[in-house]
Amino acid sequence: MSLALSIGVLAAAGVFLVLQRGMIRIILGFVLLTHAVNLLIIAAGGVSRRDAPFFGGDTSQAADPLPQAFVLTAIVIAFAITVVLATFAVVGRRDDDTEADNGAPSQSELDGRLDALRDSEPDSEPDSELESEGERR
Amino acid sequence: MTLTAILGGTLVVVAITIVATRFLGRNAGWLAAAGLGALAFVVALRVPEVLEATGVVREAVTWIPSLDIALRLRLDGLSALFLIIVLGIGALVMAYSARYMTERIVHPHTGYFTWMLLFAFAMTGLVLADDLVLLFVFWELTTLCSFFLINRSGDRAGGPAVRTLLVTGFGGLSLLFAVVLIVVRTGTTVVSEALVHEVWVSDPGFTAGIAVLVALAAMTKSAQFPFHMWLPDAMVAPTPVSAYLHAAAMVKAGIYLMLLFSPALGGTIVWQSILISTGLLTTVMGAIFAMRCFDLKEIMAYSTVSQLGLIVAVIGIGTPTALATAALYTLAHALFKASLFMIVGVIDRRAGTRDIRLLRRMWARMPVTFVTTLLAGLSMAGVFPLLGFISKEYLLGQMLEPGGPAWLGALLTAIAVIGAITTFAYTGRILLGAFSDYRGTHRVDEDLDTQRMPEEVTEASPAFIGSALVPALLGLILGPAIVVLHPIMGAAGSAAAGEPYRASFALFGGLTIELALSVTIIALGTLAIVLRGPLDRILERRILPFTAIGVVEALRTGAIALGIRIGSATRTDAPSSHLAAPWILIGFIAAAAIATAPSAGAVIQEAEPWTDALLLGLLLVVVVPAVITRQRFTALILVGGAGFVVALWFFALGAIDVGVTQLLVELLTVVALVLILRRLPAVFHPVARVRQALTAAIALAVGVAATAVTLAFTGRRDMSPVGQYFLDEVYVDTGGTNVVNTILVDYRALDTFGELTVIAVAGIVLMGILATRPMLPERTPNLKAWVGTALMRSVDNTLPIRVVARWAAPVIILLSFHLFWRGHYEVGGGFIAALVGATGFALAYLGAPADRGAPVAWPYRGLLSAGIIVGVASGVGGYAVGSFLKPIRWDIPLPWGGEYAFTSALIFDVGVYLAVLAIIIAVINELGGVREREGKLSTEGVSEQRSKQESKGGVR
Amino acid sequence: MIGIVELLLPLFVGAPLLLGGILFVVPRHHPLQLIMGMGSLLALLGGAIVLLILTFDGTILVHQIALWPGGISIPFVADSFSSLILVVAAIVSVISFHYMIASGEAQSPSIASLVLILAGGVAGALLTADLFNLFVFIEVMLLPSYGLLLFLSRRGDMAASRLYVTVNLLASTLFLAGVGLIYAVQGTVNLAALAGAGDDPATAIATAVCLAALAVKASVFPVHGWLARAYGSASPAVAALFSGLHTKVAVYVVYRISSVVFEGDGAWMTAIMVVAALTLAVGALVALGEREIRPLLLFQMVSGIGFILIGVALFTPEGLTAGIVYMVHHMVVMGSLLLIASAIEQTYGSGRLDRVAGLRTREPLLTAAFVISALSLAGLPPFSGFVAKYAVVLASADAGQVLIAGLLIIVSLLSLMSLMRVWADMFNGKRHTDVEVLAAEERIRTREGLFDGAVIDTDTAAAEAAQALEQHGPPRGVLASGDPHDHRGTRIPLRLVIPALMLSGLSVGLGFGGEFLLQLAEHASSVLTDTSGYVGAVMGQ
Repeated sequence: MSLALSIGVLAAAGVFLVLQRGMIRIILGFVLLTHAVNLLIIAAGGVSRRDAPFFGGDTSQAADPLPQAFVLTAIVIAFAITVVLATFAVVGRRDDDTEADNGAPSQSELDGRLDALRDSEPDSEPDSELESEGERR
Repeated sequence: MTLTAILGGTLVVVAITIVATRFLGRNAGWLAAAGLGALAFVVALRVPEVLEATGVVREAVTWIPSLDIALRLRLDGLSALFLIIVLGIGALVMAYSARYMTERIVHPHTGYFTWMLLFAFAMTGLVLADDLVLLFVFWELTTLCSFFLINRSGDRAGGPAVRTLLVTGFGGLSLLFAVVLIVVRTGTTVVSEALVHEVWVSDPGFTAGIAVLVALAAMTKSAQFPFHMWLPDAMVAPTPVSAYLHAAAMVKAGIYLMLLFSPALGGTIVWQSILISTGLLTTVMGAIFAMRCFDLKEIMAYSTVSQLGLIVAVIGIGTPTALATAALYTLAHALFKASLFMIVGVIDRRAGTRDIRLLRRMWARMPVTFVTTLLAGLSMAGVFPLLGFISKEYLLGQMLEPGGPAWLGALLTAIAVIGAITTFAYTGRILLGAFSDYRGTHRVDEDLDTQRMPEEVTEASPAFIGSALVPALLGLILGPAIVVLHPIMGAAGSAAAGEPYRASFALFGGLTIELALSVTIIALGTLAIVLRGPLDRILERRILPFTAIGVVEALRTGAIALGIRIGSATRTDAPSSHLAAPWILIGFIAAAAIATAPSAGAVIQEAEPWTDALLLGLLLVVVVPAVITRQRFTALILVGGAGFVVALWFFALGAIDVGVTQLLVELLTVVALVLILRRLPAVFHPVARVRQALTAAIALAVGVAATAVTLAFTGRRDMSPVGQYFLDEVYVDTGGTNVVNTILVDYRALDTFGELTVIAVAGIVLMGILATRPMLPERTPNLKAWVGTALMRSVDNTLPIRVVARWAAPVIILLSFHLFWRGHYEVGGGFIAALVGATGFALAYLGAPADRGAPVAWPYRGLLSAGIIVGVASGVGGYAVGSFLKPIRWDIPLPWGGEYAFTSALIFDVGVYLAVLAIIIAVINELGGVREREGKLSTEGVSEQRSKQESKGGVR
Repeated sequence: MIGIVELLLPLFVGAPLLLGGILFVVPRHHPLQLIMGMGSLLALLGGAIVLLILTFDGTILVHQIALWPGGISIPFVADSFSSLILVVAAIVSVISFHYMIASGEAQSPSIASLVLILAGGVAGALLTADLFNLFVFIEVMLLPSYGLLLFLSRRGDMAASRLYVTVNLLASTLFLAGVGLIYAVQGTVNLAALAGAGDDPATAIATAVCLAALAVKASVFPVHGWLARAYGSASPAVAALFSGLHTKVAVYVVYRISSVVFEGDGAWMTAIMVVAALTLAVGALVALGEREIRPLLLFQMVSGIGFILIGVALFTPEGLTAGIVYMVHHMVVMGSLLLIASAIEQTYGSGRLDRVAGLRTREPLLTAAFVISALSLAGLPPFSGFVAKYAVVLASADAGQVLIAGLLIIVSLLSLMSLMRVWADMFNGKRHTDVEVLAAEERIRTREGLFDGAVIDTDTAAAEAAQALEQHGPPRGVLASGDPHDHRGTRIPLRLVIPALMLSGLSVGLGFGGEFLLQLAEHASSVLTDTSGYVGAVMGQ
């Protein structure tokens, strides 16, 4: 129960931060989200058996080693990506802000596009002096 | 293989002509004409075979058997007729082009001839096709040829060309839809089989649907209301193009399609009502529009629309005679309309204009042209004894008895007669307008009248006018000699009706209603010409409140506007909006989960040690403030704290290696992030309350879902067989005892291999980015405040840590090696060892009094690459014992007795060790900004300028 | 023979990664960079073709890596489906890399290595039959992509790159969670061991999470928006590379999972059908509204993903075949179109529809390539697009999905409209007066490695432009001014057009040789409709 709740807490916090503004919060969000997933994977192996999986002796209570291996790999991969994300956060124009200067068109620009579209309508008369087939080009 | 030969022959003509244009220029037209003529002759040779009601020539070449698509060709009466029209008129137009085209060396009209002849090829294929898909292929090919022919006609041809393509393309797609449905229902792609399938009778609904789709396709192609607009629009194309595509051939493709499908669709109420109503409506409308034009070519265009309307209508009637009449009318129309178009071109070339307001006294200046026009025109007007007369008479005859109530026949005939009268009238408009001083209007348009036609206009050369004269004369000859046409028309009628039929057209059928009608038409028509003055005044008023072109444009731009609006939803680079979308999908899955209420078995063990609750508490203590705080640094530390709690969780769950790794990784993550926090503002960017609430809601939902899914899905089964296998077999298989580590380096070394690649690449990416793009400037605290305080003396400040580092470093190194070595047996292994070692470097870095010159400046680029290389090398080494990444084991006797069970997995682990170590040094040095301060931008990357530029910050 | 090839399967990953690793330390201008890069990509292509030939008759090549028992070790599997996609992916990589060499982008640091590692990752993702291993290889594909995206990006701001990384990270995290759930329920992540497990609701839900993650990567509605933004900021050639590899690998996995785990289970396929239908409609509509060539094409690509997914959603043999045919066609044609866009952007310095015009008379070869690819994409005969689209429409109608068939046809009209916009604006008309200056500015920026939108002082640009006009004199004869055949000034260099020409040529070939493609696809789909062979082989039975 507690484990499930911990996973929930981490996931919620992670998602909340990921949906915020600014790379740092997004990064931290992903760190928490990764924790949640890693715990989930460990939980996937079952939490009733909690001995460290070592060969020799009684392994009747040893935890499932495979999820542990998965998580080890996942942790290190996550670290690598976090590093890259950190780099993405620290280069750029101003700071790690993700929502200014992001190329989103304002409503006015949108209207501009629509107007431009209307102007772009070709003249709707087959004009006769243009009869001149392309050959005269 | 005659048919295949004919089809291929058209392609050969294309090829030859392309080459010829290079040498002959426009005169290549003669060559093309000869080629098409020859092919027409070949067809004529085969015609006798198909003249018997049932005679058919069939050929097939496989193309895509999987989809039952083949090059199936079929020659019957109908296709023979159309084929002769296509090739014959084609030959004439080609000859005509040889004089019409301007004489030029630079651009020898190669493109023009290519597309024209490709079109001839497409039409040939279309009328010969006996395969539904092939039919569609050629159908679209004609559309494309027409598009390119229009499109290359001057700078302002683009609009019309695109509109034509969209309208006819739309028709083509509805044909495709029909084809697909037919193929699915009848299970065959062979036209002649599909059309006689019983489903047409057994399933009226299906038949009606197909009728609509096919009618749509045909109407777009044959420019029937409301799709007529593209035809006048397309008049920007060269006159020969109009003569061929837009009068004689392409617009007839629609007619052909309707005739082709008549056996299946004919007689059904939907088919009839669509065809007759649109047909007659188009006739009258087109004729009236023709009365309002000044450009001869435009008049011709509307006239074509109107004439095609009549044909469509009579096809709608659907009796064998009606269909045969349609065929006859098609021929007649092809002859006189092609001739008329070519004449327009002649006048245009000689007089330099096509505007009836400018043309004066041409009858005297160009007598031959005048006579030709007269012949063709009278045929169009349906005057005795020309071919047009006969076809019109029989057409009216068909209108009289459409089946159904008597008043219907009267009504249809009345409308048809009105159309015919108007036709007569605008024929007069053409003749008088072009050859007399009649201007077709009372308005005097000054700036128009300034550009008068040249004073002396002379007759065109025989070679030029000849191609126009031939079809006109044919119209004159075939009238009295109509008997000649009976066989072919009969065959066409039988093919279209799907039942044997004998044509019996006569020039003079006795004193019939038709004859009376014809007389009426001529009388009223003449009257209309006499009263042309007042008529023009009436017709100059705008008739429809909108132009069809306007409608199409409105649709087109409307669709674009819709697209812009939908697109604006995602037209942003802000991750938040894009990162929210996936949760919609997850939401649906959650809904599905609730619906299906999955159960993964019973919970194995409810009870949990009290420590779990404690860990949950700890987690809450760090996570909640981490979410709330607005300080970057605080948030980072708290999240780091969360990491440690998670590590504790791992320990609690028996994942020792994982826990240790988690601890070390967390430490290094925090270090890396601290390094970049120096360059970022202290507090987070503000976000609107509403959004906070929204994101909180999403987050909460996800949290609940995560908890629920963990409870529902986990802890409900015993140890997985795979896991059990590892626990039992690990020592035998690998000689290791630390199961997790053996999984990493033995059982699933490939994962680890991929992962060390990820690490190495991450390092390269990090270095690459920082080499090409400068980091944000550091936000150094205000040092003045510290003057005199101990904070300024970094050397002294860092003394303790340096002391620690000095004696700790070797220990750490040793520890790291120890951990590495024993990894296979106890907690440790490549990652952990490397991470521990790395902390040593981190310590040294922190201990450095000044960050000038990294304490550790190893060639980490090389190390990263070495990591991968060692990894793969040991993997390949595995082939020595049978497989990639298969560990090699042998026992090394130790001097002090016993032996060390060595495994090549250790070498693999070295790769991991190198990569992990390297990336951490890279992070510290790069993000630490050491190289930056040393001012040496890395060996890679041009970009001093880039960085300069960056500071300028050009805005896109 | 077979045995050896099976044994060598891991090298499809190992070799590119090894060479990539070595190239990291080879100096950037060293010829080895390009030679080894292109060489190993070609080798990959050759190997893939060998696999295709060997698996064509339904043979399934399996290698249990490190020879651990089936179900324990990570299996690498090559069947007619994975081999086919691997071949096409290799072709796209080769051609894109060829373009990068032509445009000089391949000279930038680490590019060759990154492309190789990306290719290796793709191979791994296509060949592995282990879900966690798949996750690892998806990451192996992603990290080089981050590098390629940013190293060659000409955008000054980081926004789009940040978007790309975060979205993909979220997708990967979701996928990992899904894998975890699958392990929780089934106790294995071996795809073959999961055969038919979709009947169990719990497994179905867990797998669905994986599919959702893949949907994000494949950018289907409602997560379609990020792709055009992110790829739009990459170098066009990189966009072409990604569009051929990333989204298609995601779609490939969707096909694989749907067939093995769900075995075409009705309800879930219906869900995919809905998503696919929305995707292809929305994609085409948005494309219509774009005003730059690349976003327009990229949304066309989103629409195409919808087409491909229709195939698996139908899950009839015809449907799967058609879907695979469409996938192959789409990889080829999209690559061609994006490379055409690259050539235009990198020569004229803008992809704005209203900035560049008159290419038709100026760039005959480029025009040819565009016409072929555009018509092919719109599904007009006689190109590969026609065969593919006809197959999909026919399959939908055959499966009784007449409405879907109709939708597909309407969407084809929409794509035709948007491509006509490109045609009308960029290829028709007179070229704008300022285009020479634009092109000149672009040349200066490239030469000096400046970012897009970098302010360049007008005199320098004007001088550059004038020089260009001098260099390329009037081509044929003396021409009156305003003659559209006056081709003085900047032209697109042939070397930038050739890659697109090759791909469009391939599209023509696949159109006329449609039977060949269909045969390949039929064999590929046969392993999806009947997974017993696959499962048996992987489990070592």
